[in-house]
Amino acid sequence: MTDCHFYIFKLILAVVSAVETNYLYQLNQLSRDIEGVQILKGISLKILSGEFLALLGPSGSGKTSLLRLFNSLDSPTAGILDYRGKSIEDWDIRLLRQQVGMVFQEPVVVAGSVHENLTICQRWEKPIKPLSDLDLLATLDKVGLKSIDMHMDARSLSGGEKQRLALARVLLNQPQVLLLDEPTASLDHTLAHRIIRRVAELHREMNLTCIMVSHDPTLVRRFAERVVFLHEGQIAEDGPVTILDRPTSAQLQAYLAEER
Amino acid sequence: MENSFYAITWTDVLVSLVLMVMAFALIRWWKIDLGKTLLIGTIRTFVQLTLMGYVLTYFFRQDNWIFMVGLVLMMILIAAYEGYSRQRSHPIPNYFLILAGSMLITVFLVLGLILQFILHTQPWYYPYAMIPIAGMIIGNGLNSATLTVNRFIAEINHREKEIEMLLSLGAPPRAAIQDALRESVKAALLPNVNAMMTVGLVQLPGVMTGQILSGIDPLIAVRYQIMIMYMWVTTATMMNILVLALVYRRFFTPQWQLKRELLRVK
Repeated sequence: MTDCHFYIFKLILAVVSAVETNYLYQLNQLSRDIEGVQILKGISLKILSGEFLALLGPSGSGKTSLLRLFNSLDSPTAGILDYRGKSIEDWDIRLLRQQVGMVFQEPVVVAGSVHENLTICQRWEKPIKPLSDLDLLATLDKVGLKSIDMHMDARSLSGGEKQRLALARVLLNQPQVLLLDEPTASLDHTLAHRIIRRVAELHREMNLTCIMVSHDPTLVRRFAERVVFLHEGQIAEDGPVTILDRPTSAQLQAYLAEER
Repeated sequence: MENSFYAITWTDVLVSLVLMVMAFALIRWWKIDLGKTLLIGTIRTFVQLTLMGYVLTYFFRQDNWIFMVGLVLMMILIAAYEGYSRQRSHPIPNYFLILAGSMLITVFLVLGLILQFILHTQPWYYPYAMIPIAGMIIGNGLNSATLTVNRFIAEINHREKEIEMLLSLGAPPRAAIQDALRESVKAALLPNVNAMMTVGLVQLPGVMTGQILSGIDPLIAVRYQIMIMYMWVTTATMMNILVLALVYRRFFTPQWQLKRELLRVK
């Protein structure tokens, strides 16, 4: 091999690795078993920074199981899961979870006031600069809860308010990725759309990557940019949101027909 | 009749069977399906305690610290095994070792303090003090630890979503589970603390009753009982905290993930 070849080789390697690390998440032949049952099978997926991706599929298709892996609430049984070009297992877990926030299906608030819920991370991590009431108000404003009384008992909030409080709590960590596990499943249609519209705005304003589990094609059509359709633990279809108008796989066609 | 006691003879014990006959009669009268069990219980009580009497007499004659320490270790292992088998429906990895280790530490500290600084026993392994007190520490510690661990598992089941939410925000396992730990210890200690409030008012504790029956001055019996009450609460607190500090870690992976599969009943 001549020097010239060698340098070209090096250059190609550098370009390849630069492109590779550009992916926020990279999944390769990933699977997950729970007590001997394969929930996810051979998932390969690449997610770019700044995407709004929806994981769509019938219940039991593995959407939530997949989402939980992105925040390392679970680990894959086999295969590769990289976050920012590094295996997720090699990340400092605290740093990873600060960068990757999660909003769960059912809103969870801890006993205490709205203020205590918002500043909960300070229980285990002394901040360099404690969160001021102004910071909190600014974040509450982002989720549309500006007028709430911060000394109110968080458990007395309505379902929609609790979910927005949960969103605000995650945002205070200044995440770069937001995982949403059907966060509006327990809410009515109008409220659900209002909350996801907020999320979509944050996604644009803060260049926040959003990965949202949903079984509501209307919601997905309206706000997501990319759709990954899961069926029985496998990716049946993956593409821009327009694939919902021209589904190619039989599974997605059947699913959409049923949801209609 | 000062400082005397009525030694109970074997004939007297046989007469006490009349008590059991009364119980049997009542059970037969109401046709409660318990007769066989009661009969076995009556016989086992007699046989087990008689054997224990001979065993204790033998133990008390030993003048050998290695023997005494070995005996206490034996008691700890048996109790830890008992606790471990009670936990079969919800197996916790290394639970036997956790129990045995926590008991060892608790017994060492509490028994050591009592023998050395309160009773000033000579020799330090004086069997008449060491064996019953060790037995009380181990038995009470085991019961309290079982209560705490059961409560703790119920708490994690109940708070699963909250714990995962906290973990997802970057909380270390300890912070995510803190409320569950506190609630469990508190719930398990409450009976002990309540007993301190009513002791002597509602009923006399067994040890004190026994001492008074065997002719010991109530004022001395009371001093023993005060020490025992303090010992119980401290033993329970120490055991609960040691056991839970080791148990809660089994519910998390090194990646700070909740092992949800441990929550489901086997």
